[in-house]
Amino acid sequence: MKIPFSWLKKHVALTATPAQIADDLVRLGHEVEGVEMPRAAVKGVRVGLIESKIPHPDADKLSLLKVNIGEAEPLSIVCGAANMDAGDKVPVATIGTCLPNGLSIKKGKIRGEVSFGMCCSEVELGLAEDSDGLLILPADAPVGAEVGEYLELEEAVFDLSITPNRGDCMNVRGIARDLAADANLPLAEIEQSFADINDTVAAPAVSVSAGQDCPVYLARNIQGVTVADSPAWMQTALLLAGMRPVNGIVDVLNYIMLDLGQPMHAFDADKLEGGISVRSAIGEENFSALDGRELKLNAGDLVVSDNSSVIALAGIMGSEPTGVTDATTNIVLESAFFRPARVSETRRIYAMVSEASMRFERGVDPLMVEIAMQRATALIIELFGGSAGEITCCGNADAINAGRSICCPVSGIATRLGVDIPQAADDVLGRMGFGVSRSKDRLEVTVPSFRHDVSIPEDLSEEYARIIGFDAIPAILPPLAATSPVRQERSIHDAVTGGFLQVVSYAFISADEQRLFVADDGRDIELENPISDAMSVMRRSPWPGLLNIARHNLNRQQPGVLLVEQGRIYARTDAGHDEINTISWLIAGQAQSDEWYGSTRQADFFDLKGAVETWLSLRGLSGRFIADDSIQGLQAGQSAKVLVGRTEAGRIGRVDGDIAAGFDIDVPVFVAEINLDILPTAKKAKFMPLPEFPGVERDLVFLFDKNTSSDAILNAVKSSAGKLLTDARIFDRYEGKGVPEGKVSLGVRFALQDAKRTLTQEDSDAASASIIAAMEKRFGASLRG
Amino acid sequence: MSEIDALKIQLESLQREALAAFAEAEGLNALQALRVHYLGKKGALTEVLKGVGKLPPADRPVIGKFVNQAKQALAVALDAMEVELAVKAKAERIEAERIDVTLPGRNRPKGALHPVQQGLDELTAIFAQMGFDVAEGPEIEDEFHNFDALNIPPEHPARAMHDTFFIKDMKNDEGTEPMLLRTHTSPVQIRAMKRFVAEGGEPPLAVVAPGRVYRCDYDVTHSPMFHQVEVFKVDRDVSLAHLKGVLQHFLSTYFEKDVAIRLRPHYFPFTEPSAEVDIGCVFCAGKGCRICKGSGWIEVLGSGMIHPNVLRSVGIDSNEFSGFAFGLGVERMVMLKQGIPDLRLFFENDVRFLSRMGVAK
Repeated sequence: MKIPFSWLKKHVALTATPAQIADDLVRLGHEVEGVEMPRAAVKGVRVGLIESKIPHPDADKLSLLKVNIGEAEPLSIVCGAANMDAGDKVPVATIGTCLPNGLSIKKGKIRGEVSFGMCCSEVELGLAEDSDGLLILPADAPVGAEVGEYLELEEAVFDLSITPNRGDCMNVRGIARDLAADANLPLAEIEQSFADINDTVAAPAVSVSAGQDCPVYLARNIQGVTVADSPAWMQTALLLAGMRPVNGIVDVLNYIMLDLGQPMHAFDADKLEGGISVRSAIGEENFSALDGRELKLNAGDLVVSDNSSVIALAGIMGSEPTGVTDATTNIVLESAFFRPARVSETRRIYAMVSEASMRFERGVDPLMVEIAMQRATALIIELFGGSAGEITCCGNADAINAGRSICCPVSGIATRLGVDIPQAADDVLGRMGFGVSRSKDRLEVTVPSFRHDVSIPEDLSEEYARIIGFDAIPAILPPLAATSPVRQERSIHDAVTGGFLQVVSYAFISADEQRLFVADDGRDIELENPISDAMSVMRRSPWPGLLNIARHNLNRQQPGVLLVEQGRIYARTDAGHDEINTISWLIAGQAQSDEWYGSTRQADFFDLKGAVETWLSLRGLSGRFIADDSIQGLQAGQSAKVLVGRTEAGRIGRVDGDIAAGFDIDVPVFVAEINLDILPTAKKAKFMPLPEFPGVERDLVFLFDKNTSSDAILNAVKSSAGKLLTDARIFDRYEGKGVPEGKVSLGVRFALQDAKRTLTQEDSDAASASIIAAMEKRFGASLRG
Repeated sequence: MSEIDALKIQLESLQREALAAFAEAEGLNALQALRVHYLGKKGALTEVLKGVGKLPPADRPVIGKFVNQAKQALAVALDAMEVELAVKAKAERIEAERIDVTLPGRNRPKGALHPVQQGLDELTAIFAQMGFDVAEGPEIEDEFHNFDALNIPPEHPARAMHDTFFIKDMKNDEGTEPMLLRTHTSPVQIRAMKRFVAEGGEPPLAVVAPGRVYRCDYDVTHSPMFHQVEVFKVDRDVSLAHLKGVLQHFLSTYFEKDVAIRLRPHYFPFTEPSAEVDIGCVFCAGKGCRICKGSGWIEVLGSGMIHPNVLRSVGIDSNEFSGFAFGLGVERMVMLKQGIPDLRLFFENDVRFLSRMGVAK
């Protein structure tokens, strides 16, 4: 909402500068988004007294003036105007002044006579489009004063963001009321004007059947108007306040709405058929709105209608055919109070916001309904002629919001704010329109009809907080003590230690991306109103997000990426929906770049598997990776499910090449995902004494069939090597020259240890023998020579 | 010349010869060979001793003494030489092992937490250390928790300002209202209070709730998904002064200096009174710059005293208890602290940005 400074001053004689007013508004709770200065003060134009005037010797239409601007010598000025005489006071632009129209004043010679300045009209000062001579200033204007300051030409427009609870401040008077109360300045009385009533103009017939939603409705006929443009001052005011002039009648209504907060509407009386009724729509009525939209209304919408059709969606917008045009001569003026919730609901259904609806849904002042209509009538008749009939009034404005009072202890408010409430604050509240009486701790406050937002003691605490000022409230640390144990969630922190960069991607992806890794089983969660198709369904896999980020980075010359993300995935369940916490990884491109100590290596499955294993081990867990060719979107033969204990906690593998190509990625991409919600928690490790006796290590190299699983081999080693075994692993893998086709050479290193003695050759020989036997029996593997 | 004199001369000459040989020895191995040559069981000195038998018995001890003296002298010289050679050998080895320490180290990939994660961690830790319990809640919410319980009834203008994402074909438990993506972390406030009351709890209750939130708004300064931290406390006699105290402490801790704070009266449906909180601009120290639009202040969060209707909606007696609450945007806090100019950087996930802004662990 834009509030011109000059307009504010019509309600309260503010003396502060625009910058100070802006600070006051912020302190009072009205956010100032900006202060525009559409008319900067004209500097260098002074009040001058014409001491003498003689005709120019060489030009009939010019005069030679001696003008006193309060300095030792009067200025000689050549002037072309005719409306001034010696003794008049006029604005004098001195040398060096730059006028609003861009004219820069210099010493000049006009027909041989030197001129040391220029006397100005309203046009040169930017006050009017045309004029018929110099601007003659009042006789008491102080000679030498800056005309800009004297005439208060400076204009500032406050761009305010009015909070939704302060409907009473969506007009100049409301803002002026707060400022006046705060500065202890009197608020001007509302200009009340009444047009003469012409008995020959009938009062309109109105029936209100939806009294609940429209507790008061006023209408009156004005006949014989001549619609013309509104006067320049009104257009200027409207433009400064951010509204475009439309036609004279609409402008008057808008002006009064901005001034007092009451939206009104004018119908072209000659376009109406019969009387007016305010009622609920009866299913599927048509409505042609002023903004050009054709609506089918729902039963229950609050409408204004004549005998044939809906002429307004109450409080929101009038109909196109019944609107006032330049050709209109007879109007019906409407001023009413529509129930805020009703207007809000209808406005939402049709997404139809108007200046009127914004005010009605925040609540207008019921006592302003008639005052505004009277002023509008008077202004219309004054500007555009015509004569007004009696007002038809349905309902009683006095009954709306009337007699509300709040009774509470002052100490309650003081406790809530943490500061004492001084008596002086009561006075400010009084000036804001409240009735305040305090006796000891008992506070009784009556709430003015325009303050729909104040109904409970806590609301009063807000008023007092504004009045006292938040700065005056002390800062005190309250006693605090956490009651529940703090659990350290370290999933992502552990993951980045392995060299991974944490990423954050959107929780919504495209339906196409969803289908890459998740079958269409009806459990997708779609958005009703997505930003775009690319962000339309809640992800059930974190992998599309990771792939998009990999694409972004690989396209920007990154040789490789190691990404990790923690976040939720979402799916419908029979009972509702699930949000599952997951951690997911992606590796693509170089695992190692060319360095002086080694050469480039592309990342592979085992880089990622190692990362997942390390992450699990940091949580005291270990995983088993079971080959699984059936994981959607992963390449068969390079994918596995991850078992932690008996829980299938995740999946890992190489992204299908076609899918990767769909993300413009032409290097192998590996992804993994672990469900954090079902991951078992390991107990903290218990202390074990460190071995006192040395252990032994032995290596055995076997030839296996090529597709033998390492996991199965190590399990067989573990079960055959005996009780002394502490570790077994694959330390070498070779196929090629010297190894028969279809075979692979695998080196198994195992370690033995006894807590009570040093091991002997016999111990390791015995273990070796049983391992060799087991390998042969289980896999047909032979010891390699 | 007597036998004894001849032997003495022989010994002296041998000793000179040996000392000269020691001095010439190249390396510890050569020195060891010389030790064997002169002092070994079959060494030169031993040979000399063999001649002692020919001497008259009276002379024998004299010569024996000479031989022993010579032996000792050679042994001392050998030991000294050995030390000298060992020092030399070590110096040579060190020189041979010299490396270019300016070559780059073996590179290990640098991991990093996302700046938003760092912000969440820092903010949550500050409140946890102050004594707030940490709570979380669902991102797919119902209208009751996201709006109604927070004193935002359906017709409320504030509801429209929330730019809510709605879920297609999904209703709340009662089957009456559509589900939505939570627009703020405030529903966790409702859930935490409800759970607390259901478990028979009696305030005080103080909670910090970090999480993801969603708004249907996407441009240079808005992301459809972002992160918030909700903080609230309910107790007897909680006041606006307490809110100010917590804000001052938290903001100074987070920004690692005594920041000036300013509360401006504002409106939120779920608090009464409500205030927007500004801090003295961290970029220009309040002098006025482009970022604070010359005002010297930067808006950081919304706050207020919990509206009695909110307490009532979860069954807490608002006559007996009061509370404060505030919610802050994590991305905004991180941008202010680390001077990040553009919200979109967080969700673009460019690894150059992530590595630079990241601190592992």
